[in-house]
Amino acid sequence: MKLQVTQENLAKALNNVARVANTRGTLPILANVMLKTVGTRLTIAATNLDIAITHYIGSKVGEEGSITVPARLMQDFVTSLPSGVIELKLDDYKLHITTDQYNSTINGVSAEEFPVMPAISEGKSWTVPVKDLKQALQQVLVAAGTDESRPVLTGVYLHSNDGKLYIASTDSYRLAEKEFMTTKEDIQLLIPASALQDLLRLLSDQDDSVEITHDDQQVLFKVGEVELVTRLIEGSYPDYRKLIPTSFASEATLSKSDFVNITKVSSLFARESAGSITIHLDAEQKQVSIKSIASQLGENTASATADVVADGSITLNSRFLLDALGTLSADKVQIRFNGKLEPCVLQELGGDDYTHVIMPLKS
Amino acid sequence: MREENTTGLWQAVLGEIELSVSRGSFVTWFKNTSLLRYKDGVLVVGVGTVFVKNQLERKFNQLIIDTLAKNGIVPEKVEYKIHAANSKLHKKSNDEPIMVSPKAVTKSQPAASSQVRHSYRQGLNERYTFENFIVGSGNELAYAACQAIAAEPGKKYNPLFLYGGVGIGKTHLIQAVGNAVLAKDPNAHVVYISSEQFVQEFLDAIRYKKNTDFAGYYRSADVLIVDDMQFIAGKEKTQEEFFHTFNALHQANKQIIISSDKPPKDIPTLEERLRSRFNWGMSIDMQIPDFETRCAIVQTKATTHGITLEPSVVDYLANHVQTNIRELEGALNQLLAFCEMRGLQPDLPIATGLLGAAKSRPKHVNPKHIVERTAKHFRVSLDDLLGPKRDKDIVVPRQVAMYMLRSELHLSFPKIARELGRKDHTTAIHSVEKIEKEAALDADIRSAISEIKERLYA
Repeated sequence: MKLQVTQENLAKALNNVARVANTRGTLPILANVMLKTVGTRLTIAATNLDIAITHYIGSKVGEEGSITVPARLMQDFVTSLPSGVIELKLDDYKLHITTDQYNSTINGVSAEEFPVMPAISEGKSWTVPVKDLKQALQQVLVAAGTDESRPVLTGVYLHSNDGKLYIASTDSYRLAEKEFMTTKEDIQLLIPASALQDLLRLLSDQDDSVEITHDDQQVLFKVGEVELVTRLIEGSYPDYRKLIPTSFASEATLSKSDFVNITKVSSLFARESAGSITIHLDAEQKQVSIKSIASQLGENTASATADVVADGSITLNSRFLLDALGTLSADKVQIRFNGKLEPCVLQELGGDDYTHVIMPLKS
Repeated sequence: MREENTTGLWQAVLGEIELSVSRGSFVTWFKNTSLLRYKDGVLVVGVGTVFVKNQLERKFNQLIIDTLAKNGIVPEKVEYKIHAANSKLHKKSNDEPIMVSPKAVTKSQPAASSQVRHSYRQGLNERYTFENFIVGSGNELAYAACQAIAAEPGKKYNPLFLYGGVGIGKTHLIQAVGNAVLAKDPNAHVVYISSEQFVQEFLDAIRYKKNTDFAGYYRSADVLIVDDMQFIAGKEKTQEEFFHTFNALHQANKQIIISSDKPPKDIPTLEERLRSRFNWGMSIDMQIPDFETRCAIVQTKATTHGITLEPSVVDYLANHVQTNIRELEGALNQLLAFCEMRGLQPDLPIATGLLGAAKSRPKHVNPKHIVERTAKHFRVSLDDLLGPKRDKDIVVPRQVAMYMLRSELHLSFPKIARELGRKDHTTAIHSVEKIEKEAALDADIRSAISEIKERLYA
């Protein structure tokens, strides 16, 4: 193998890929990245056997070949090189990396030892605008579960319904759903949330669209020069729709920044009670107030003016509420619920494509 | 080929492959595979993920075929199939509710459902109450302290540290506190756990990254009861976590009760900061119950079984097992079961026949034994003990030896004096009285005596 690439391209590719390489696993080679020439391009790939990321960069290939090298070392080394042309040359299993000023050799392991990267030969393919996918992921990933004993909930559910594409997640305490585009496809994919976290990092505003291809076992996201493959989670996603209430007994609209502020302040007094804060909607006073009590420290009531349609009060976990508010981007947000034991719904005012549901604390 | 054969065959194949590939490769690629079927010359291997499928197909196919051949199987074709049961994310049943309210954990948010209350009871056995605890000279202090705590948790004696040998009622007493607190306030958060369980849960919390849940659960306790604290010794991270839990609870005036088989200072590799904290409130040693208490225990236990025992049988049992209440109960149960099965009324001959000759004065315990044992315990030589020296570190063991001869063998004072090479029997009288008095005040002497006793009768 002998080729030339620019430091910028190689560093960017390594930054995207090396994160997946894992030094703590049982298989030492998974701590490596694979470098391989494909036609006139160089591919850089890594995998943790749950997901695999491959990055293609343009290069001037003199001799074809492949090798794997320790991911961390390679990444740290290449990112600290000055920008300019780098020459990579393979001599047995030693990778010589040469620039004007540096001349180093990294001992590699044969690419034959590296797991075979999964490929999706046949399957459906469609595209999604990067901007939309990015926003949708930012809004729903926060609610995905992490409890491995309920694997289905560690996934994000991407599915079509009545010609629309929805993406949803829940950890059983809260739920987020985003409707984000129209589609003609029939899609039911349960994708590991951790893989989508990785995908989110790869989505850059420079790219327009993401190409998604899937078969029964895995799904491939292709954005720009990067490909991410992940397995799909088996199992059927719960019918969460029936949990989202459609009519409400209590309802208020207020400024998002006010809501965030009073929640943050109240959460300080809710640390010993697992974040429990009680929200009152008061139509007469035209305000939303939050009360929290710390038996040892003291208590707090914070309020903000609001457009209250109907009175009510509900006890929520302040962290879940802050997470939810963080996913809302409008200036005005709407909080609606039916009594103390029913789910509470948060939405942007005038935007019903995104719904965040939080289960109340029992009080 | 039948089902049981296929599993056995595949195990054999895996066993061989394990020897020829690296450990990491085996764990990653082969561990979770199975033989799905072998029919019409096609052998199908079930694998967990597409990665494994690819790897086996492209890298290990030949190895698998060769190994199969060695085991006498030559399939025309080997196929690999992704199979849910081989995946670590094997689908589970979905009957769990989709969404639930998270549990609130403090008193200001008492959880209403009885299910939650029940979870606080976990580990506590309702059988252990103050009512059925029999108080004697060895445990009256511990009993009084526990009652005071149950009346007002967190106000007095915090932390309470109970220590003593095996089977003398530590667990009974500390669980009784938990049950009494719950009886008074069913919403109280009483956590009973053995330190070993604490260690295990802590490890799980680290593994599943649930540290905050773990810390939150224990730090929200109103009464934290930790049994067998000695098992935490040497586990540094757990000790640190316990230290923080301890501080959080102590600061919030929540009650902490700990039991152990040794006093804090004798638990090896216990961190100094924990040791000093355990000594902060009250440490009480629980003693082997005396003969009268043991009789009372036997009688009470028999009554709960609806049987009244003859005094001679009670005496016999109380003498038969001297150091351990659990064994005492065992002996009683053995006797009662034996009699119930045969429809007999328990009496002395049956008891003796069943449990062996009375052990009240086992043959092997003679004066010489006691003196030697005592010398050994205090690490002084037998010659010194019997000799004329009057240094303090020899006088005390000598006095203890005299006390033991009196209390265990009921020897006369002149005889005790002779056994220890003294001429004057008043020395023996003085010694026995002195140790009796000191044992009431000095825990070191008390524990020395009970240890020597345990060794003697062991």
